[in-house]
Amino acid sequence: MLATSAVRGTPLRAAARNIVRKTTTRAASSSSSEAASSPFYLTAGASAATVATIGSIAWYYHVYGRDVFAMTPAEEGLHPTQYPWEHAKWTKTFDHAALRRGFQVYREVCAACHSLTRIPYRALVGTMMTVDEAKALAEENEYDTEPNDEGEIEKRPGKLSDYIPAPYKNDEAARAANNGALPPDLSLMVKARHGGCNYIFSLLTGYPEEPPAGATVQSGLNFNPYFPGTGIAMARVLYDGLVEYEDGTPATTSQMAKDVVEFLNWTAEPEMDDRKKMGIKVLIIGTALLALSGWVKRYKWSPLKNRKIVYNPPVGRRSPPRP
Amino acid sequence: MGITDFLSDLMSSVSFVQEVHAEAPAEEEESSEGGEESKDDDAGEEEEGGDEGGEEEEEEEEEEEEEEPVDPKPKLEEECANSAQCVGYKHHFDECVERVTAAQEDPDHKGPHEDCVEEFFHLQHCATQCAAPKLWKALK
Repeated sequence: MLATSAVRGTPLRAAARNIVRKTTTRAASSSSSEAASSPFYLTAGASAATVATIGSIAWYYHVYGRDVFAMTPAEEGLHPTQYPWEHAKWTKTFDHAALRRGFQVYREVCAACHSLTRIPYRALVGTMMTVDEAKALAEENEYDTEPNDEGEIEKRPGKLSDYIPAPYKNDEAARAANNGALPPDLSLMVKARHGGCNYIFSLLTGYPEEPPAGATVQSGLNFNPYFPGTGIAMARVLYDGLVEYEDGTPATTSQMAKDVVEFLNWTAEPEMDDRKKMGIKVLIIGTALLALSGWVKRYKWSPLKNRKIVYNPPVGRRSPPRP
Repeated sequence: MGITDFLSDLMSSVSFVQEVHAEAPAEEEESSEGGEESKDDDAGEEEEGGDEGGEEEEEEEEEEEEEEPVDPKPKLEEECANSAQCVGYKHHFDECVERVTAAQEDPDHKGPHEDCVEEFFHLQHCATQCAAPKLWKALK
């Protein structure tokens, strides 16, 4: 490399100097009076076009203006606070003890009104319960059997493959029992709401002692700043010491809310632990392949990169003198 | 989350063979089954019944200790609302509450109907944002 550059160096530099000299001379030769004497109508036309552009933009904003926000902050709802969820970090899994506690909170508190129809009992096995516990839980409920010989449908105790039963027969029954408001299914609620875990945690713990002064709350509704419109049919349900955790964790309102939100995140994304693991594997294999391709490229190109091209000018002839 | 945590997570995620136990450990199962049996069948197994009684007593003691767990969230948020960070929002909110309650109590009030929801939002947002990391340290 050094040799080639040394060989090539002198003529190149000479050529460069030559070019520079030419351009400077040409610039010097072109008269400056020519640039100054550009016709007046060109300048005026360009200026007028510029003014027209700016003016039309200004006129557009004058007519249509900025976006109009029809929603008041109260109708929008208070944006939930960002909480430092441990399971949301890239290399972290769910805390399965918290999942177990959260499921307990769901069963004892939320399940009175909210269904969890997409979760079968078998999904609980290995994530927060043992087989026997899940079986015992499933057997507490009755499910329809296949029609028997006489076409009758009987009841049987639940199995692991059954789904967690809903508290109401259908949406209409749920509405009728809850003053017209439908308690939504919670299976995918973390994915379904803007703000996800933060929103649900804030909603559960954000009921103020009393609504701020002047705020109107319809009868049958409760004030919650995080719910769009601030009037929510669900009253505050989590109070300190409402459930009793089997692992002795103090069951404060925030603790229960945190656990149940983590549980609901699991119901929405039961694949999260595996997904993160798979992501790390993809990164490892991807970087390994990238590194490999880099080295292979180096290997394959080495003959090209290492070749040396030398020009030996024939001896004895001289180039014609420059003008 | 230190580098060692990260490395251990990395290792555990890279290892392709992992042990996942769906079954409870054998010892626990025996005791729980024994407990159920002693509930169902009164005959025999006095020893296990005795054990159960002991456990219940312990649990009761624990209950008495943790009879009223106190939620740290309202206290933390109260502190945050009074801190220098949120003092402006608190000031605005208090002023609004004063103004609006005065207007409500005044029967001759003819101004526009006003509420403090927006001021409340700002204060609440500031306070919860400030209390969030502290709360997470206090929770399990």
